[in-house]
Amino acid sequence: MHRIEAGAGDSDYDTHPFGTDVMWQTNASVLRHRGHEEQTWTETFPPTRENALENNWVDMWLQNENRPIKDLYCSMQRKIEIRRKQERKMKKKTGLESWKEEKGRSWRKFRRKMSVVLQHLILWKGSLQTIGGQFGTGIQSYFTFLRFLVLLNFVTFLLVAGFIVIPSIAFNELGLNQTVSHSPNNSKCFEYNPNPQGLERFYVFIMNILMGTGFMEWTYMFYGYYKKTSVNFSNFSYNVPLAYLVTTLAYFLLSLLWTVIRSVQGFKQSLITDDSSVNNYTDKVLAAWDFCIKDEKIITLKQRSIRYELKVDLEEEKIKRLHAQRTICQRAGIYSVRILLNLIVIALLCGAFYCIYRSTQESQLLLALESVKGNFILELLAGYLPSIVITAANFILPLLFNITIKWEQYILSVEIRLTLVRCVFLRLASLGMLLYSLWNNITCGDTENKTPCDNCGYNYVENKCWETRVGQEMYKLLIFDFLTVLVMILLVDFPRKMIVDHCSCKLVQLWGQQEFVVPQFVLDIIYGQTVCWIGTFFCPLLPLLNTVKYFIIFYMKRLTLFSNCRPADRTFRASNANFFFLLVLLLGLAISWVPVLYSIFVMTPSKPCGPFRDQAFIWDTISMAVESLPKVARNFFEFIASQAFAIPLFFFSCIVMFYLMALGSSYGKLVKTLKDQLQMERSRKILLNQAYQ
Amino acid sequence: MGGSSSQLSKELLNEYQDLTYLTKQEILIASQRFTDLLQKDRKSTDTTETGRVSKKTFLELPELKANPFKDRICYVFSTSENHDSMSFEDFLDMLSAFSDSATLEVKSYYAFRIYDFDGDGALSREDLEMLVNRLTGEEENSKLSKDEMRQLIDNILEESDIDKDGTINHSEFQHVISRSPDFVSSFKIIL
Repeated sequence: MHRIEAGAGDSDYDTHPFGTDVMWQTNASVLRHRGHEEQTWTETFPPTRENALENNWVDMWLQNENRPIKDLYCSMQRKIEIRRKQERKMKKKTGLESWKEEKGRSWRKFRRKMSVVLQHLILWKGSLQTIGGQFGTGIQSYFTFLRFLVLLNFVTFLLVAGFIVIPSIAFNELGLNQTVSHSPNNSKCFEYNPNPQGLERFYVFIMNILMGTGFMEWTYMFYGYYKKTSVNFSNFSYNVPLAYLVTTLAYFLLSLLWTVIRSVQGFKQSLITDDSSVNNYTDKVLAAWDFCIKDEKIITLKQRSIRYELKVDLEEEKIKRLHAQRTICQRAGIYSVRILLNLIVIALLCGAFYCIYRSTQESQLLLALESVKGNFILELLAGYLPSIVITAANFILPLLFNITIKWEQYILSVEIRLTLVRCVFLRLASLGMLLYSLWNNITCGDTENKTPCDNCGYNYVENKCWETRVGQEMYKLLIFDFLTVLVMILLVDFPRKMIVDHCSCKLVQLWGQQEFVVPQFVLDIIYGQTVCWIGTFFCPLLPLLNTVKYFIIFYMKRLTLFSNCRPADRTFRASNANFFFLLVLLLGLAISWVPVLYSIFVMTPSKPCGPFRDQAFIWDTISMAVESLPKVARNFFEFIASQAFAIPLFFFSCIVMFYLMALGSSYGKLVKTLKDQLQMERSRKILLNQAYQ
Repeated sequence: MGGSSSQLSKELLNEYQDLTYLTKQEILIASQRFTDLLQKDRKSTDTTETGRVSKKTFLELPELKANPFKDRICYVFSTSENHDSMSFEDFLDMLSAFSDSATLEVKSYYAFRIYDFDGDGALSREDLEMLVNRLTGEEENSKLSKDEMRQLIDNILEESDIDKDGTINHSEFQHVISRSPDFVSSFKIIL
């Protein structure tokens, strides 16, 4: 292609087939004379030597028809001229070539139109742009992340609705129930009637909605209501339990893939920046300015934060040098302080976990008490006890962490990172604690008295349908989390802003407006997402609730951001943010896999309710489905599940991994040698120059 | 090459779409804004060339008004003799370079020219100092101290001056900036 064109076009120049290297050289020369004599070369083209060079560069663009002219960086008039030249050249060409180009051009036009249409479909594009424009990309990244979660939840909801809820409703309505009759040997385990009898007072209704009990328990919201239905027509068969299980696995995989794909970009970037932590200052100066910002106040803030960051970095460097000079005694002192403080942190965490554990147990006991029953407030408090304790722990402990970290004498960047890691751990582990205590309750885990579990394989006395119970807990966590966000915004942020605005008292002014702390808020929504992931198996409509919740949170946060907040003193960079958020999200996903997979593979499903009643394990559904397949397919699945497949696969992935690692390190070496070579070239040039003079 | 929106023929619109990264919508908004600027310009000064907005009026644009690099942006994109006025096409060029879909190459080229204060094709120590001062605010109390500045510029050159000639040239700049993840998302001005 290249050669044909060079032959066909004017051949008074010499094209170089290797793209960028040469281009950069020519560009640099263009640049040098563009600086002062701009006008000479934009308006007239005297046939000087320099211009020949520049024409050369432009002609190279003409050669490469695939690149649109807009990629050229020169003024519009120039671009138009180049375009005319191109058109003239096109006339000289044969029919086929010009047809090809015409096609390329119309394809570009089509793509452009499509992208305009698609851009209208992007959710909240305008909002995100205004936020970015007002507050910079760091805060924008929080909202982009929120949007990603809304979409993820919505797609999950579509999956669940399409494959579980709608078929169930349809079969129910059509009366296609083929409920399997109970096996009579253990009839005690089959009594389950959550449907309330008689009239209810209004507060009970509210209560049921908030706690997911009563009439709510017996709806499509929870696991327990789904029936073991399988429909078999001549050419259509649908098995609800199988669909339930496969959909669960599918949305977990979908979430994993989507998150991983999103984080790959960030991962690459963070690898690049990590591998040269040397790039730090250049980043902070050459790529520092956020041109989107147009608010004068924010610009002053941004300038202040840039200055602050630069100063802190320079300071840190000094401190690092000082730290390196510490004597052994000093070091020993610091390390002992750190160990002590870490012990305190661990003690605090253990205390919090114990409280969560106890509150879950107590909540159940309290709800059974006669004095609590019938009292609206007390019942609500007792039901929400675990959620309240978790939220309180997540509110108080980070404050304490912030105090203790000051004494540990880390440099600032480590300080921030360490506090964040502790908060993440607290968030996710408190959820784990809640689940552990539920598990204890359901399986009579470590209590001595195992009698309630003897009959049915799980604690039938307290949890008639334990999956629904877990679903209710997650449902309550989600609702409480949402309520706290609303309350915080309406009852704390707005009054605070009003007080700060109208009171000139020094103390109040010192307190100041609320900061928009991106990492903290992101942890909040990741926690909510983890709850949703865990709960979706037990409460299939949870993704819908979560979509609505995040949707509303988006608007509330935007409202409070614009009316109440000032940006944080230390800006959060969009790039580290994106990768860090996704990493924590992946961690949350991994954690949510554990309880769900555990209940699928190990626990006995409830006898009187749910699509898996009567089975020893939930996973049996899959093995039964495989058995009903034709022989070839069955053999195939058996082979995949066998060791003969797993062990070679394991070794193969090991080999691939080692290969990639070797490749990576060799590239690193290559970069180093190339850098050395460049420097050598440079010094040789200087030497030659000196010799010449 | 007129400025007012009503005069933008379909052909011209198509051509602009081909030559810039802007969409039709954005070009129309830009032309509206430019017409407003022209009218404002006519009121404040009486000696205007046709279809050009003087630098002074142009820098009043709310998107640029508070930007510490506004004069540099105007200088780089203006095609007039003294870089003191903007035509509609210059304006489109600017918006195109600052748009969402412009390539890293284009963006880094213009960023380099904006930061190259003396226009000699390389970022010298003086250029960097000016850049840092604009970033931190130019008042006496907000500037970095001399020592800090020296240390900072040493560090920057240490990192990005690959051939060790004491300045950052265009290819070095391009190299460094392509590794900086925030650059593309922050080098943006949208009307």
